[in-house]
Amino acid sequence: MRIETIRAAGDKPAHIRHDDLISAKGVSVVIARQLILRNIDLSVPKGSFVSLIGPSGCGKSTLLKVLAGLVQPTQGSVSIAGLAPVEAARKRMIGLVFQDANLLPWKNAVDNASMLLGIADKSLSRSDLRARGQEMLELVGLGDSAHKRPHELSGGMRQRVAIARALALDPAVLLMDEPFGALDAITRDSMGQSLLEIWQRTGKTIVLVTHSIDEAIHLSRHVHVLGIKPGRITESLDIALPYPRDLSVTEDPEFVRLVVQLRTMLRFSHQPGGAS
Amino acid sequence: MSDQPITDLSEPRLASSWSAATGSWLPAVILLLVTIVLWEAAVRIFAISAFIVPAPSEIAKSLVAQWGTLMQATLVTAGEILFGFLVSVVVGIAIALVIVRFDWLGRALYPLVVLFQNVPKVALAPIFILWFGYGLAPKIGLILVIAFFPVTLSMLAGMQSVDRSLLSLMNSVGASPTQILFRIRVPHSLPNLMAGTKIAATLSVIGAIVGEFAGASDGLGYVIQFASTQLDTALVFAALLLVSVLGIAFYYAAEILERIVVPWAPKFSQS
Repeated sequence: MRIETIRAAGDKPAHIRHDDLISAKGVSVVIARQLILRNIDLSVPKGSFVSLIGPSGCGKSTLLKVLAGLVQPTQGSVSIAGLAPVEAARKRMIGLVFQDANLLPWKNAVDNASMLLGIADKSLSRSDLRARGQEMLELVGLGDSAHKRPHELSGGMRQRVAIARALALDPAVLLMDEPFGALDAITRDSMGQSLLEIWQRTGKTIVLVTHSIDEAIHLSRHVHVLGIKPGRITESLDIALPYPRDLSVTEDPEFVRLVVQLRTMLRFSHQPGGAS
Repeated sequence: MSDQPITDLSEPRLASSWSAATGSWLPAVILLLVTIVLWEAAVRIFAISAFIVPAPSEIAKSLVAQWGTLMQATLVTAGEILFGFLVSVVVGIAIALVIVRFDWLGRALYPLVVLFQNVPKVALAPIFILWFGYGLAPKIGLILVIAFFPVTLSMLAGMQSVDRSLLSLMNSVGASPTQILFRIRVPHSLPNLMAGTKIAATLSVIGAIVGEFAGASDGLGYVIQFASTQLDTALVFAALLLVSVLGIAFYYAAEILERIVVPWAPKFSQS
């Protein structure tokens, strides 16, 4: 696959600032001779909340994996605070949350919350880990469920433990791949609201991959729309709604206007743009 | 019962759960009893010779008459089964761990293990007698080759079914393959392993009896062979009954072990 030829197609590169925690430049990913992502320029300012939204197959999850260092870009580079993603992950700068909480069924909530930290930092004692796990569970609103096993928790609570597990690393950035995708609408709303509160209390930088227009606008400061075939950033949208936001923001006329705008952008993103 | 006023709602529920508990056992027990009665009746009515099919009453008599010998034989066989079973589980787990941990060795070993499964292992019994004599060793060897495979296979399946994104999480914080193996894969495989262990428990009984058939001076398999040469079919059946009891006992022991080892397994946590 020759990327140079395809790269010539006109995707406008985003403006890259110096205070960006994450910056991806010209990232293309080819997997099994398929161009998954083409020439992605993405910058995420420190402390920001950025959402990636797009139709299925647009490569938004792959982009998140590239940021996490789990997928190597075929071309281009990613830096997280000046480090390659794999390096950043080793230094516990990246917290990951997936759609499936992936808790260990043989460990209770507090041990699940501190599990990754225990692997990342072998110097911590069992009681240090417990204390940290408990602190994180309290942060996500599960302080009194520390001794419950995953099967005793609801889907939303399990996902809260997964968020606590990522936060226990005290990462600079939280990368979340459709973390609420498997939850019902009401749980989803309250999880989003909790995530906003956690974000504001901890000052983490968050990159969220989502399918939900409402979720993207409700939570984030910037939304990037990805198009398909190949996956590329087609539009970027700043969400000027003031923080702190709660669910009442969804009744704001500006919110409604943004929903319409984003929906229109998404409709266009469904059109293949290989040769534009 | 229906003329009682409904005052206590918990009582009908208790009654129905009691009937559910007995209801699950009752049909099997009734069928067993009916079969025994029909068997006894058929043997008497058609005057079937006791050395072809002994009546249940004859088997019971033989069981009582030979109680001492049978108990001694049962103890010997039970020892073989237990020892052979434990060796099978340990070896089965070790092979699975080697296959998963050492990729190259695993790719060499796994096809051979599967290939070996196609060898009719019962046919190995005479060779084991030749190699190891008439003692405990050939029985343990036979149980091992018969019973290790379900242990290895089930543990492999469990270790290899760990969710990819969980592995991504582990990799992202720099977990070593050994850490992933012992912190994630091994505990994750325990429910599968326990299922394989139950199969191994059943196969161990078969292995012990086959081993005793091939050459032994003691044990229930020996009693069965000896009694059949004497045309003491009632004693054969009595020994068979004890073999079955042993099999059931080992199976349930494995099931109890399962509840102790993996109380968090999905099959226990749904209710």
